[in-house]
Order: sequence, then C-alpha cells, then structure tokens
Amino acid sequence: MQNPFDPAIRDFLTGRIWLRLHTPFSIETIDEHIEAGHIQTIPGIISTKSLTRQTNHFCNRCENTTPSRFTTFNCAKCKGPCTYCRHCLKMGRVSTCTELIVWNGEPPTYPTTHSLAWLGTLTPRQQQASNELTTSNQTNIPHLIHAVCGSGKTEILFEPIHKLLTAGKRVCIAAPRVDVILELEPRLRAAFPQTAVEALYGGSESTTASPQLILATTHQLYRFRHAFDAIFVDEADAFPYTAEETLQRAVRKAAKPQAPVHFVTATPSDKLLAHMKKIGHISTINRRYHGHPLPVPRYDALWNYTKRIQKGKLPKKLTEWTQARLDKNEPFLIFFHTIKLMEQAEPLFRQLNPKIAAVHAAHPDRKQHVQALRDKKIPGLLTTTILERGITIPNVQVAVVGAEQLIFNKGALVQIGGRVGRSAHYPTGDFVLFHHGITYAMDEAKNEIIQLNKGGVPT
Amino acid sequence: MNECLLCDSTIASTPTWKALLGLDDTTIICQDCSKKFVHAEIRNDTDELLDQVTSLYSYNEAMRDYLHQFKFLQDIALAGIFAHELHAQLKGNAIICPIPMHPHKKIMRTFAPVDELLTSARIPFTHLLEKTGTESMGEKTKDQRLVMNPLFALKPGTMIQPTTYRLVDDIYTTGTTLRHAATVLKQAGAKRVEAVTLIRA
Repeated sequence: MQNPFDPAIRDFLTGRIWLRLHTPFSIETIDEHIEAGHIQTIPGIISTKSLTRQTNHFCNRCENTTPSRFTTFNCAKCKGPCTYCRHCLKMGRVSTCTELIVWNGEPPTYPTTHSLAWLGTLTPRQQQASNELTTSNQTNIPHLIHAVCGSGKTEILFEPIHKLLTAGKRVCIAAPRVDVILELEPRLRAAFPQTAVEALYGGSESTTASPQLILATTHQLYRFRHAFDAIFVDEADAFPYTAEETLQRAVRKAAKPQAPVHFVTATPSDKLLAHMKKIGHISTINRRYHGHPLPVPRYDALWNYTKRIQKGKLPKKLTEWTQARLDKNEPFLIFFHTIKLMEQAEPLFRQLNPKIAAVHAAHPDRKQHVQALRDKKIPGLLTTTILERGITIPNVQVAVVGAEQLIFNKGALVQIGGRVGRSAHYPTGDFVLFHHGITYAMDEAKNEIIQLNKGGVPT
Repeated sequence: MNECLLCDSTIASTPTWKALLGLDDTTIICQDCSKKFVHAEIRNDTDELLDQVTSLYSYNEAMRDYLHQFKFLQDIALAGIFAHELHAQLKGNAIICPIPMHPHKKIMRTFAPVDELLTSARIPFTHLLEKTGTESMGEKTKDQRLVMNPLFALKPGTMIQPTTYRLVDDIYTTGTTLRHAATVLKQAGAKRVEAVTLIRA
C-alpha cells in the first residue's frame, strides 16, 4: 500500500461502486491502481445454486434478486453462460463477466469549514425538530420529520446538515423524483456556498469531482456503496420508492454501515410510521411556517367527465373554474389521472387560453413548463400526479379532475392540496376535487387535513 | 403474470385455451409498446445482385430506442420481441446467412445481435461469410460507403451451391452491406440471393 495513487481517482471512487471499464479514467490507470491494491474488484453478478437446484442471482450494484429481472445468455466474451441484470441495465450492463470496482485505499478527508448562508429564522416548532434531528445524528439514530406540506421541511434540515459538514462528514439528500431534486438543488447551493454540492439524476452532467453534499434521485444510489455518514430521504412515500424494494436497499447500501437513514415527508405511510416508532425518533409539525391552516378540499361533482371530454366538450363546471382563474390572473394546476385523458382535454383547454400546457413524466419540456408557470409566462398547467409534490408556486389554485380514481389515494390528495397557499403572501387558495362519486380516500384526506388544522397529530 | 420487457408494466393476460395447452407464444411486450412499432413489409425486387429485399418494420422513435437498448445497452432479452414475425418471414428452404460481425467486435459486445434474433426466432442459420475489417457502417457517409473495399470474404472451406440464399441483417439503410455480401455469394455460384432485414431506415 506504499505505492502512490492518483487523488482524482480516490476522490471519484470513494463511496462509489462503478463499472471497471467505464470510469472517466483510462483503463491502464485503473489497472495500475487495482494491482497496487488501492482499488478492489467485485464480480458483477453472484449466482448461487439453492437446494432445489434453482439458480439464484444477485446483482452487486443494485442488489436486485428478482429472478425475472435477470437474463442468461451465451457470452462471446467469457465463452459460456453469462447472466446480466436487467434492473439496472440503463446504467451500463452488469453481467457475470463484468467487474465492479470500489476504492480500497486511504479515504479522503473532507473540508470542515462550511458556511450556512440561509438568513431566515425557524419557527419554534421547526427549531425544535431541527434540534431533535441533530441529536439523532449525534447518536446515529434514524429520524422521521413528519411535517405538513409547506411547513418548511427543507429549512429544518439546514442546521443539522451544516453540523455534519463541519465535522467533515459526507451527506446525501435523496428523493425518488427528479423534480424534487431539481427544486432542492438551487436552494442548497445558495444555503451552502462554500460546500462542494452535486446533483445526480438520470441525464445529469457527470463530473469527476468528489462532492461532500450530494443530492440524488434514489435510483442514482445504486452506484454508491458505504458512502455517506447520513442520508435524508425526502418525500419518502413517493412512487417508486415505496413500491421498489431495491430502491430501499440501495439507500441502505449507500449509507455507511452505522450511518442513520432519515426520512422527511408530509404523508408517511402507516408502515413507515410504525417502523420509525420502533427504531427511531419522530418529530411532528402540523402547522405551516406562516401559521395559516392547510386548505381544506371542497368536493364538486363532475358527472361523466370522461365521456364529455372524449366527445370534445369540457364539462361546464370545469370551464367555469378555469375561466375564473384566467380572469383573476391566478396560476393554476389541474391534475388528471391518466396521460390519455389529459391529452384529450388539452386542446379543449387551449380554446380557453392557447398558452395552457400539459406535462407528464415522459414529457421532454417538463422543466421548462413548470418554470414558465412560475414566471407567469403561462396561465396554468395540466398535469399527471408527477407534480403532486416538491413544487412551490405562489398563489397557485388547484383542481383535481376525477378525484375518485384509485391513483389519488389519501397521501396523493394531501400532497396535491399541499401545493395551495404555501407562500405567506397568499396563504389560502382554492383546492377543489372534481369527482364522479366520493371515495374513502377523499374523505380520509379531508379528515386528515381538518385534524391537522385542529392541532391533532395523525397516526 | 409477466412484465413488459420494454416498459416494465404488467401485461394483463386473458386466459385462452391455447395458452392453457401451452401452444400460445408468451407475450413479452405489452400492447402499448407493440403498437409503437410500425409494420413496413417493404419488398423490392431489385438488381442482379439482390433478387429481393424484404423489411419488416420501418424505422421510428420506438425502433431507435429498441435498437439502442438491444445493441448498445446489450439487452439480449429483447431479441425475442420480433421472433414471431421473423419466423414467419424466414421459414422455408432457403439457406439463411446472417451478416457477420467482426470477431473482435463480437467479443466487445458479448453477442451478435443478428444471430440472437435468429436464435430466438428458431431459425437455423450458417455463417458463410466473414468480415474483413472492423469499420462500422454507421460511421460512414453515403459516398464513403459506395467506394469501399470488399467488406466480406467467403469463410475458408465453405461451398456455395447453385441455390437460393437469404441474407439477414437488422437494418437496411443504403443497402451497401447487403450488396457487398450478395456480391461474394453470387461470385461463388449462388443462384439467387434474397435479403430480409428487421428494419428499413
């Protein structure tokens, strides 16, 4: 271990698990470092035979074990049957004859001088939660910040993160959705001007830097291993994090073995609440930072809206609602349960105002459209549940078309309502559920909001 | 219950007698994804080199994504998506000869895409040709393609009969590759050379 090494390689590889043949460095340099023992190689796929003679595969990058997510073929490179993981394929294929590399040499030291440039003040409840989180960090105990939409969750994290950074620790904020990361990035860069910050998501610019503070979609954490001294999972209940077990394992794997994984959300699942009660601490905030109550949804029947839209007519109530927003110059979001219905409705809304646009997960101009709404360049957006969380637009008014659909569960409705009245200048706003019949989920969401406004703690 | 190989959504399968008896081909992609591929069925009778060229699909965005995932992300599971159509098109008495890859390139990619397409379509094939260089068609302009040295040579020890041969490739762009291959086969005594490609660009 006396051999010299390239600090750039150390900085890049520390905490990462990477394809040997696809690093930003030359293959020869990597080979030299492996020979000198600075880099350890790990086989891509581990295959074991179980007692029933069934072969089980394990992907060392994404920790996928689902048999249907592996494919075995006759490999021209290793001249035999070779298995690859289809789960993390898009990050470059990992197969039996692929080698992964991790840093095995001396770890880097991170700077300990960081400034916190955020000038706001926390409410007493926020401050309390923030202090509790710091205590949990000191004792490596996982913590759940359960705070209503618009209560200033991100600001609660600033102080605890600052304390970690000045102790030379490496920190990650992870979220299942790229929109949340894009929203957080400028805020954290502004709050920590001296800190090396990097945002990682599908399609982000890749650099060779070794940022101390990483913002990443949970998918990107497949590429990390034992990297962080603390991870904060924002919007932990969002799809696909709860649905995909590998993502949960990826977050665990990205943290150092003893490091805590914290959660921050407005709508924790019952499972997460029970789990955190058992193994960690919970801080609850049921008031928004500006002290105003959460907007309570109102129901409005919109019978047979699907048929009407398919026939090329906007239901009257929906037209009136939209027209009222246009007249008053209020930005609005209208949520739909499927892309198909939304795209059928889009030209109909365009007749009211040609600038109204629609966005969904696969939409290429999603980022620009949301920004255009913020800049008041467009009057309103039609959207799928993709914008249900993480976005703040002052004075936005919200309608849900088809609130009885299964995709709008309690959590989704509470989150959607959370878009309304977030700014202190406009603490109220309309939150209407257009429906074809009232569901339990709608009632549960409404009751939870009323309970929270009364000061109760939902369980 | 299985998942679509392209979009991971669950494929709703309706129970049928055929499926129950195991006669049905299992669907590996969902309706929505398969609708995005556009059938072309282009068939031209061309010149004295290529007696017939058939392409099954036209090149569009879905096809581009498919080729990217299959060839560059090396997702071999995708070879089976067009197995049914390829089988219907290629069954018969003609000798099937896939366009070969350079051995080095095959090792780099770990598999030969055209061979995998044929294997999953259950079409027996023989390699009669070998690639002379490592250059790839996609990196060349049309003018460059037209003035190239022979791309293929007959594999040592192969005998060509005066019968019908069918070349198979993944994509037909300018036809240079197929013409080069057909030239070799015709010069060696093939009576008729046809070609089938999955995609027509």
